[in-house]
Amino acid sequence: MLTVASLTRTELEARLAGPGLPVRTGAFVSRIHSPLRHVADGIELLYGAYPLLGEDSFADFDVGLRPSGGLRRWYRPQVNFDLDGLVPFEPLPQAHAFPMLEWGLNWCISTRAHAYLMIHAAVVERDGLAAILPAPPGSGKSTLCAALVHRGWRLLSDELALFRPEDGLLVPVPRPVSLKNRSIDVVRGFVDGAVLSRPVANTTKGTVAHLKAPADSIARAAETARPAWIVFPKYEAGAATALTPIPRARAFFRVADNAFNYSHMGARGFATLAGAIDGCASYDFRYSDLDEAMAVFAALEAPQ
Amino acid sequence: MPLLVRLLADPGQAAGLGPAEWDLALRQATSTSLTPSLLALLEERGLLDQVPAQPRAHLEWVRALAARHRQAVRFEVECIQEALDAVAGTAPLLLLKGAAYTMAGLRAGAGRLYNDIDIMVPKARLDDTESALMLHGWVSAHLDAYDQRYYRRWMHELPPMQHVRRRTSIDVHHAILPETAPVHPDPDKLRAGAVPVEGRPGLATLAPADMVLHSAVHLFFDGEFDKGLRDLLDLHRLFQEFGSRPGFWEALPARARELELGRPLFYALRYSRRLLGSPVPDTVLAAVAPLGPGRPLLALMDALFERALLPMHASCDDAFTGSARFALYVRGNWLRMPPLLLARHLFHKAFLTKNDAPETA
Amino acid sequence: MWRLRPGQTLQYRQWDGECVLYNDLSGNTHLLGDGAIELLLALRRGPATRAALAAVLQAEFDIDPAALDHETDTLLHDLKHLYLVDTMAC
Repeated sequence: MLTVASLTRTELEARLAGPGLPVRTGAFVSRIHSPLRHVADGIELLYGAYPLLGEDSFADFDVGLRPSGGLRRWYRPQVNFDLDGLVPFEPLPQAHAFPMLEWGLNWCISTRAHAYLMIHAAVVERDGLAAILPAPPGSGKSTLCAALVHRGWRLLSDELALFRPEDGLLVPVPRPVSLKNRSIDVVRGFVDGAVLSRPVANTTKGTVAHLKAPADSIARAAETARPAWIVFPKYEAGAATALTPIPRARAFFRVADNAFNYSHMGARGFATLAGAIDGCASYDFRYSDLDEAMAVFAALEAPQ
Repeated sequence: MPLLVRLLADPGQAAGLGPAEWDLALRQATSTSLTPSLLALLEERGLLDQVPAQPRAHLEWVRALAARHRQAVRFEVECIQEALDAVAGTAPLLLLKGAAYTMAGLRAGAGRLYNDIDIMVPKARLDDTESALMLHGWVSAHLDAYDQRYYRRWMHELPPMQHVRRRTSIDVHHAILPETAPVHPDPDKLRAGAVPVEGRPGLATLAPADMVLHSAVHLFFDGEFDKGLRDLLDLHRLFQEFGSRPGFWEALPARARELELGRPLFYALRYSRRLLGSPVPDTVLAAVAPLGPGRPLLALMDALFERALLPMHASCDDAFTGSARFALYVRGNWLRMPPLLLARHLFHKAFLTKNDAPETA
Repeated sequence: MWRLRPGQTLQYRQWDGECVLYNDLSGNTHLLGDGAIELLLALRRGPATRAALAAVLQAEFDIDPAALDHETDTLLHDLKHLYLVDTMAC
């Protein structure tokens, strides 16, 4: 099976600028178009291990990161994200093109893949059991996720928990982990040999970088996982590590609050979420020390 | 003919498509908001098993949306019925367009997503209807004074109303064309022909022929063709549904004449058969031929419509597509408003409304 | 006379005195107390009078008899507002 790494830089740029680069990332295939150097850089650095498909393959998303036209071509050039000609966002400075690709792909999935109940959460797995980390921005979810997948946990996703209604299992989409601001240095310190894209400053989320997904997580991208724990993380500097159980009915609504498409999924969404809450132990998790956090997660026991 | 159009006309072609073709077909479908309809068509014919695994999984994404939409429409109609119970008297609530297709369980409603519920009430009941809706939580769209006056004086409907909590929209019509249009299909005749919705007391839709004519008017009098193929598909599905009913084809041309809608019917039958292969009998085409335009104009309209009715996707455009759509947009507005009013309306909208109109939700 | 609104299938889960319920008509999901779900389950068995429903609550819960009617009425009113239950002509 061919991977993106099998292409030379020249071939990579030619595909991106021309017919597009069809890449499989777990449950989804995206055909990526871009003439921009920043995008080729990011893909070359972080996407080497993902399967590369043939030109005539079926893609779920046909996406482009293309320079905005007009006079802006020369003065502070910008980039547009498009999904098959549909432009959902305002343009960004071209230096933000690679993060924009990642945000754009998340947007594509979360607004369209309604075969799944989709929660805004990180998902990691060990021994066949998955921990779901729903969290609004600023909770430290991504730092925790990045650390966990380098301490024995498999990455399913840093942003998208995809529940399959038919059996309640979680489906992976293991793309690069998005990190912000302080978190970038923390992860660099915590993970030996971390491969990170060049940090991009002044985005709406601050300084942003992406961490390469572990090879094992990419290799097992077709392997589902059974949900076992729902953990709402909250990073608080100096706080004592604390894992506190949440009553199930409350956990139900808190997870639904973090869902992209709970309402769209109707009765099936209700049944899927109810099944997950039934089968999981739900917790609030406060932490300040990453090593202590790793220990808490390592000690999590399978729910009855 | 673009791949999507061929598939809609003959879903059996699905069996022979490869991954690259599915890729294109689904992109064309998405750009025209027709993916749920395509899913419904394939499922109806038992063809889903013939779709390769990946495109099949992708098609299934819209199933949940279609189901949720149907549920939302049913609930909304129930809420509207409750609100208008006091005003209606013995008259049933008359539904138009998408809401009618959904509630009557018609094929045209399968996979058909839309934003507004359309109803029609007698003009004399308009104020009472508006009041009753407001009492139950609907508010009139925030339009400036000019647009409010425009709507109430010239249009065949109230300004759209939105429910404060549910954020759903309702369009209350008193006729199917504005007073400024060159023809005036009589709303009393439409109401007299209305048929009850089976299993839903208090609900009614237009009679089959009138449903077809309304859909034809909507497509061929309105200017906005970004949904053109979808509207044409509605007509195609209506023809498929009603075409086998005794007397349907025979009565259609006469009813069109009676309601002064011969020209839209002519176009509806012509383009539905040409693009989607609708089962329109030759005798019916012959019967409406006198209602069509003269040869030179027909050639022009063919060129315009056959471009404008295609999917709005880069793969379906040629050099003339943009101007075709623009020409039909102006024509659409001209058919609804006399030229003097049109100029003032477009002028006002272009130069004044943008600056002081608030953001709509 | 009260009844479960036609179309409601009462898909729910009950955990530690709290109940989450899916509303088949509106598509909303509700957080209900035990009292509410008992009334709904009673109505699923068939239409009932307000008195009968008050008796159900009295049997299941520790309610001050003086407050019973008010409690029942409040619950039924709330459930009606949510399109879960409905009054019907007897």
